[in-house]
Amino acid sequence: MIMLNLDLFAWWAVTISGGIVFLILVSIYLYTNSRVVRGESNKSTAGTRLGKDFIFVWVLIGLLVFYIISVNIGSSMVFAAGNLIVEVMLIAYLIRNRREKSAETVRPRSQ
Amino acid sequence: MSSTEVFKRLQTSEQGLSEQEVKVRLKTHGYNELPTQTLTWLQVLARQFKNPIFVILIACAVVAGLYSEPKQSVIILSMIALSIILGFYNEYKAEKIVIDLRRNVSIKAVVTRDGKPSEIDSRLLVPGDLVSVYVGDIVPADLRVVECKYLQANEAVLTGESFPIEKTSEGLNLQNPTPHQLMNYQFMGTVVVNGSGKGVVVSTGKNTEFGAISKTLARTHPETEFQKGVRQYGNMLLTLTAALAVGIFGLNAIIGRSLIDALLFALAVAIGLVPELMPAIVTISLSQGARRMAKLRVVVKRLVSIEDFGNMDVLCTDKTGTLTEGRIVLNDCASIHGKEDPLVLTYSLLCNAAVVGEKISGNPMDVAIWQHAIEKGAKEDARNYTKVDEIPFDYQRRMMSVVVRNNGEHTLITKGAPESVLSNCTYVEMESRKEPIDTTLHLSINDKFLNLSHLGYRVIAVAYKDVDTKTAYSAEDESDLTLLGFLTFTDPPKKDVTSALANLNEMGVNTKVLTGDNELVARKICDDLNVPVKRVIGGSELTQMSSTEIKAAVEETTIFARITPEQKLDIIKALKANGHVVGFMGDGVNDAPALYEADVGISVDTAVDVSKDAADIVLLDKDLLVLANGITEGRKIFGNTTKYILMGTSSNFGNMFSAAAASIFLPFLPMLPMQILFMNLLYDVANITLPTDNVDEEYTKWPKRWDISFVRKYTLFFGPFSSLYDFLTFGIMLFIFGTFAAANLSPTSPEFLKFASLFQSGWFVESFWTEVLVMFVIRTRRIPFLTSRPGKWLTVLTLSCIAFGTVLPFTILGDFLGFTALPAEYWILLVLMVATYLLLVDAGKVFFYKICKF
Repeated sequence: MIMLNLDLFAWWAVTISGGIVFLILVSIYLYTNSRVVRGESNKSTAGTRLGKDFIFVWVLIGLLVFYIISVNIGSSMVFAAGNLIVEVMLIAYLIRNRREKSAETVRPRSQ
Repeated sequence: MSSTEVFKRLQTSEQGLSEQEVKVRLKTHGYNELPTQTLTWLQVLARQFKNPIFVILIACAVVAGLYSEPKQSVIILSMIALSIILGFYNEYKAEKIVIDLRRNVSIKAVVTRDGKPSEIDSRLLVPGDLVSVYVGDIVPADLRVVECKYLQANEAVLTGESFPIEKTSEGLNLQNPTPHQLMNYQFMGTVVVNGSGKGVVVSTGKNTEFGAISKTLARTHPETEFQKGVRQYGNMLLTLTAALAVGIFGLNAIIGRSLIDALLFALAVAIGLVPELMPAIVTISLSQGARRMAKLRVVVKRLVSIEDFGNMDVLCTDKTGTLTEGRIVLNDCASIHGKEDPLVLTYSLLCNAAVVGEKISGNPMDVAIWQHAIEKGAKEDARNYTKVDEIPFDYQRRMMSVVVRNNGEHTLITKGAPESVLSNCTYVEMESRKEPIDTTLHLSINDKFLNLSHLGYRVIAVAYKDVDTKTAYSAEDESDLTLLGFLTFTDPPKKDVTSALANLNEMGVNTKVLTGDNELVARKICDDLNVPVKRVIGGSELTQMSSTEIKAAVEETTIFARITPEQKLDIIKALKANGHVVGFMGDGVNDAPALYEADVGISVDTAVDVSKDAADIVLLDKDLLVLANGITEGRKIFGNTTKYILMGTSSNFGNMFSAAAASIFLPFLPMLPMQILFMNLLYDVANITLPTDNVDEEYTKWPKRWDISFVRKYTLFFGPFSSLYDFLTFGIMLFIFGTFAAANLSPTSPEFLKFASLFQSGWFVESFWTEVLVMFVIRTRRIPFLTSRPGKWLTVLTLSCIAFGTVLPFTILGDFLGFTALPAEYWILLVLMVATYLLLVDAGKVFFYKICKF
């Protein structure tokens, strides 16, 4: 199946890209907001963590590329293959994060 | 009418009624209880229609029936019916549970029958019964006072008058009196705030003044933290829904859709955003929690308080009866030298307000004196004396007196707080000699009392003086007394309190002791219970403080000693203003205002009536260990309610936002209004077992606060995930399954309708799968299924709903709703898509909880 209606496709591509951009902006807002609230001023640490914590956003951007290409060429095979790759990446990311999380100490009691 | 006439009119006497007569009158007049003030099934049903969403839905059904498709109207109406049945069933069941639980908390009355006083359930009172009332009692029926001593009642509940009304036993000559003017009557539901008295029951149950106006009575508790949170959440939803609905309607109208279709679609999207079943979910959670807590012998009188019970981070507690056994034991009765003196015991037995019947009841210290005297066989010593008059205890004087006659001599005996008694004494009895009390001796005696208090004893001083014969004695006679000796009492700390408080501390609940007792006694108890004392503030110091200073002081203070009921209230208000969820536990009459003001008022079944009435939660056993269980239960309920809200706002919002955006550029509606409503209903059905879900252990370890900004951030973050996958589905349906071809067709052509239906079916299934399955990811911060198992009923129902939603497009019902069968290829893509979506949300969850704490 080949894409015939450029107008509709353009609408769709803009919407899905807009959604991802919105999500990235929200993440940046929440992230910077949490840094300000906690009063962390060490910029280098914050910068490293920012990049590290944004892996899943890069996954999203990767997904966007897959989606637009696969949908553009109307191929369910490319779509399925792309999804599987992304799923593997996500599982790897989750395992890494869960390990880090399990090493976290118990929240201290505030008096 | 004199007292004798009252007895005659009501065919009773000073000996009270006989048991046989009581049985006859009980048959005639019925139980002394008010017609149930809880809602009838009809009222609960009517309440379902007050929901504005249903009004909108009914309007939708009418509009759809008149101007669009009648079948759409039928579907909307069936959904309304289903939602109403679900809501009605659950709310009615919850009402019944509360009624059953409340029955466990009984109000007692001291009644004289066959000449013997005894304590009975106030439901069993009949007209003609002779009832005794004391400070702290809720008057159990309408009484004509026949005997009283400084009797004052707060009748605010009837008259709105907040000052106490003095009572008399004299006859009054009034024409058409109002309850306020009837000073020789005591009315059901009013509270005895001073003195004591006896009265003959004139009317019971619905025939009382209280019964007559009870329908119009609505004591409103201050809004709890949870209620505030729900209100804020409602406002947030209202703003979102209104903005989205107006926007969608406007945009659809601009792009040339029919106004009716645009209106129905906008309303359906708006309704899709509203969690209609939230009241039902909350009610089910609360009523199930209440039932589980009842098994632990904790009665929840006000369901809504359970969530605040879980979120409570400060527990203010009275000392006596809550931290301690509450069963005060007389330790010693001695002269001022500390030698045992039998006269001290005899005098304290005479100057005693305990009611001695089949069992001894009344003030715990008076009861302890009686029990001690019975054990020692000393009660016979008191038989030589005849009681002439009594000046009852009150909180201003902090002592009571009696005048007794022995061998023609009249003696006034005073017993009370040592500092109060000592300040009224001019002499002290030293080995049968009377010594005048000078400043040095006064200080030395005071030191002795302080030392005893320091050791954790409660000290009561006993003094006396010979008085002339008079018809009546008053508080003014309590002067120039001779200090005879003192009584020491111990109220040992409860065995389990140390571990219970340690448990609460572990759970993030700070304990503060608010007591009318002195600092030393309170400090000793805290030491015994291993409660670290940071700071102690006395009532007099608190009086000097401004409200700002109180707010700062309450944070670092552990013990508030010698405080008044008003100060308890100030402390609770200050803690609440500082953002704490405050629990208050008490059992005395002076605790009632604080119990009412606290987010969670906790009392015990042995508490005075007014305290039990003001409390939200009543512990049937004085076992503080159940508090920790109750808190865990409250946190679980809060956890499950929060899950529903977070899922509802995030995935619903994402779906509805996608629907709104897609409606602008698609040649057809992305989902028909009836399809949106049906999906909403199916989603709610899947959620109905959410209250039974397991809650992770770490979630219940710490108090949580309702944080609307957290809900907002959650929606803002997770909403777009859902939208992204909706847009992806749109792309797949349009460009892989070719439904975009509809753009070049006439909207009335069968091909157009076929493409539209395929698109709508594809999106319905995808959004339903993602919306429902994401519940398993969002419900825990752990790895779904592997390290956190969902509740079995939730799993079964959710997967059943998923199965139903999946086969729906292939069924007649699906056809009726405008769906069409989906190709096999679609299902492969759907499984892959949903898998990525769930993994992505889980990854997002890890990221989100790193930056947003809750």
